[in-house]
Amino acid sequence: MRWIAALLLLAALLIGAVATDAPAPPADFTFVNRGDVNTLDPQRMSWLSDMRIGRMLFEPLVVNDPLDPDFAIAPGVADRWSVSEDGLVYTFHLRDDARWSNGAPVTADDFIRSWRRAMLPDLASDYTAMFQLVDGAAAFFSWRVEALETMASASRPWADGDALWRETIERFDAAVGLEAPDDHTLIVRLARPAPYFIDLCASVVFAPIYPPLVERFETPDPATGRIVRREGWTKPDQLVSNGPFRLDRWRFKRDMRFSQNPHYWNRHALNLRTIEVLAIEDPSTAVLAFESGAIDWIPDVTADYRAEMWAEKQRFYADNAETYARLADEGHDPFTIDRLLPEDPRNRVHVVPVLGTYFYNFNCSPRLDDGRENPLADARVRRALAMAIDKRAITEQLRRLGEPVASSVVPPRSLSGYTPPAGLESVSGHPAADATILTQARSLLRAAGYEDPRDLGAIEISFNEDAGHGLIAQLVARNWSDNLGIHVTLEQTELRVFRDHLKNHSYMVGRAGWYADYPDPLTFLDINRTGDGNNDRAYSSERFDGLLDRAATEPDPAERLALLREAERIIVEEDLPLVPLFHYVDIRMFDPHRVTGLTPHPRAQNWMTAVDVLGDGVGAEEPRSVGR
Amino acid sequence: MLRVIGWRLAQAPLIIFAIYTITLALAWAAPGNPLENPEGRRPPPEVAAQMRAQYELDSFGSFYLSYLDRASGLRWTRARLSGSTVDGPVFDLGPSLQYTDWSVNEIIAGSLPASIALGLSAIVLACVIGVGAGVVGACKPGSLADFASLGVALIGVSLPAFVTGSVLLLVFGVWLGVAPVAEWGTPRAMVLPALTLSLPFAAYIARLTRFGMIEALGSDYVRTARAKGLSERSVVLRHALRNALLPVVSYLGPATAFALTGSFVVERIFRVPGVGQHFVNAVQNKDLFLIMGVVLVFSTLLIMMNLIVDVLYGFVDPRTRNAST
Repeated sequence: MRWIAALLLLAALLIGAVATDAPAPPADFTFVNRGDVNTLDPQRMSWLSDMRIGRMLFEPLVVNDPLDPDFAIAPGVADRWSVSEDGLVYTFHLRDDARWSNGAPVTADDFIRSWRRAMLPDLASDYTAMFQLVDGAAAFFSWRVEALETMASASRPWADGDALWRETIERFDAAVGLEAPDDHTLIVRLARPAPYFIDLCASVVFAPIYPPLVERFETPDPATGRIVRREGWTKPDQLVSNGPFRLDRWRFKRDMRFSQNPHYWNRHALNLRTIEVLAIEDPSTAVLAFESGAIDWIPDVTADYRAEMWAEKQRFYADNAETYARLADEGHDPFTIDRLLPEDPRNRVHVVPVLGTYFYNFNCSPRLDDGRENPLADARVRRALAMAIDKRAITEQLRRLGEPVASSVVPPRSLSGYTPPAGLESVSGHPAADATILTQARSLLRAAGYEDPRDLGAIEISFNEDAGHGLIAQLVARNWSDNLGIHVTLEQTELRVFRDHLKNHSYMVGRAGWYADYPDPLTFLDINRTGDGNNDRAYSSERFDGLLDRAATEPDPAERLALLREAERIIVEEDLPLVPLFHYVDIRMFDPHRVTGLTPHPRAQNWMTAVDVLGDGVGAEEPRSVGR
Repeated sequence: MLRVIGWRLAQAPLIIFAIYTITLALAWAAPGNPLENPEGRRPPPEVAAQMRAQYELDSFGSFYLSYLDRASGLRWTRARLSGSTVDGPVFDLGPSLQYTDWSVNEIIAGSLPASIALGLSAIVLACVIGVGAGVVGACKPGSLADFASLGVALIGVSLPAFVTGSVLLLVFGVWLGVAPVAEWGTPRAMVLPALTLSLPFAAYIARLTRFGMIEALGSDYVRTARAKGLSERSVVLRHALRNALLPVVSYLGPATAFALTGSFVVERIFRVPGVGQHFVNAVQNKDLFLIMGVVLVFSTLLIMMNLIVDVLYGFVDPRTRNAST
């Protein structure tokens, strides 16, 4: 039996090896960020969960005030800026005391080198297109693509990767509209006026990286000329950042620990000394961890029972109906109302409308990928199908989170100065009204040559594995077969496969969603442009493209929005390459009596500079509200 | 014995090579694009093309050879021999396609200790619970204790980990507050996940032990031992149990390998930073390098585990030792 004892001892030793790395003392503020971030490289970020962390580490030229009613732009690294009369030239003045976490000053050149990374095809990522607003950036990008192709072919005009890289930098400096007359002035020349450019500058994708560090990890490959990226510079022992917090520890899919950046210019305004970010993949475990007090904030609750949690919150409001009505009348923001209501476990769930829309794509290609003629290529068929969907049933019976039913792509009242078009009327469970709508829908089908709806053949709805999408697809399928007599089939695939089908237009009807990248209708509309890389619908309309082109050069802001509104009207009332179903909401969890400074704004970006935990003796200890 | 070990070690690279070839072929053939976001905006096609080229994702042949070269340590050895400076690990499993800030080596090195600790403690727990319940049941077949152990075994085998895990977490973590929720790194935090993971194994071991014991207790040598006047304790623990454990030991090999890998659900519920999650997530993300990395590391581990079991078997059962030398 000695071997058993030896084995047990070995096991105990191995087990002891993990048991020894005890957790750090609790941070001032702890929150959950899903699984883990995909990257901490700001130029390569495109996930909301990555950007949430990015804003803690990196500070762009300007930031948003999360407690401003309009989510207004506020100074960041730049303390002031000006825009030329024609809207083409932006001049940013960088503050003198902006510092990297190693004490070095943040300069205009740091921004130029960071933005250059995002303009290179071999380093760039999902947001490259945003950087092509800068004058000359698009041409520079294409030149580099071509140069790399030439490098791969037999004729090599450059001796090696370094030679190509030297010419690339020369071209960039000469042709791209970025200029740093001195360390504290950055001049940006745009290719065309874009009123939302300043909002892009507040995105963490436009934040700077520390070039002396990052450029050590990105060197041209001698043979191909391509910049080879090596990982490592985003690790705590390497990372140099300029934001309010710095990274002290990062254990993959486990946790991240942040403390104040000692060189941050606005450090005295911070109300948290340390932040812990936990990676919790399981939605239910995240909620249980919150209940047990281990977590202060869940930015996005995805547990199956979230609708029940929201129903509890509604009951809590009903129990306090009088106070609630009074507070709402006084014009408080929703989180302040919750703070002024009594403490209650039900009061820790918050539903926030956000700038995003769930919709169904219609494939508009003339032929399907199996060579069949595509009945959905006819806008009248798409319109008829859109009218026959009971969107109200989706939000009230399936989602049950108070999502607004969508008839436009841009959520109404979400962008100041813009009123989206009314959209197409669709059935909503009122027999009399529905009958009229369905008569119209049937006559549209008849006009398209489908006297008998069964002539359309089977319409297939594609979606990815996820209980939520499946239920919606079933409901839509039933709407179409009950209301129009159309034969509908469902196709469920894995997410990555599904995405491939959308991109290659090998589907008929597919679920989709879109979140605003910047506060402008264009972010929802340009994905319908002919040939756009995100035009999964293969939609192409000269009239629509023309309106976007005209809007791009229109100097008058109101006139520009009117053009965009007309473009959206074509999408949601006439051509229907997509049918909006509902606008997204986010479900948050935090105790409103304890945590303050989180934003209820639909832009939904939180800046940790505003967050304070009340009653912990750290920071201002003042409850914060929108607009006050 | 040594010859067996030597023979097995010589086979190992061939087996791993076969696993490498088959896994890579399957992972390559699986549909879906690893370089694309599952949601939202796509990069321009030129960017995607550059990324594919950088990761050598354009041709199976060149990827197959170049990855074999770096993962097997050949590239490292060549560089070492030619005297050039070598940066990077000996066995370079490549970058993660989804989590671009991490190399596969870092990811596995960071999560393997947690998986090993969880898997081993689960197996130890399973042995204690399983053998204990099995012996009790076999000594008094048909008794209340026997039925109780049968009942526990039935529950352990039938209930999936996401049920037992969630219930344990809810009861001990949230309601009673005696166990931490979503924490890892202390012995206290390890109890619930280890227990959850051990239950199915414990159940199986209990049944194996019980049948083995009942058979052993009815055998001639146990009658002889009793006739010699040995105490019942001595008869059960030294004579009967030793034979009864043989099937348990052979089960422990695959069970341990399974406990080390098969804990995706338990890892998720209890937020254990282990390797199991990477098996599933890497496949969902089509993260080719990570898929290959975890498969290669675990097949190596599995081969080692089976070797250890064979050696152990020799200790427990001298008959096999004699047969093989």
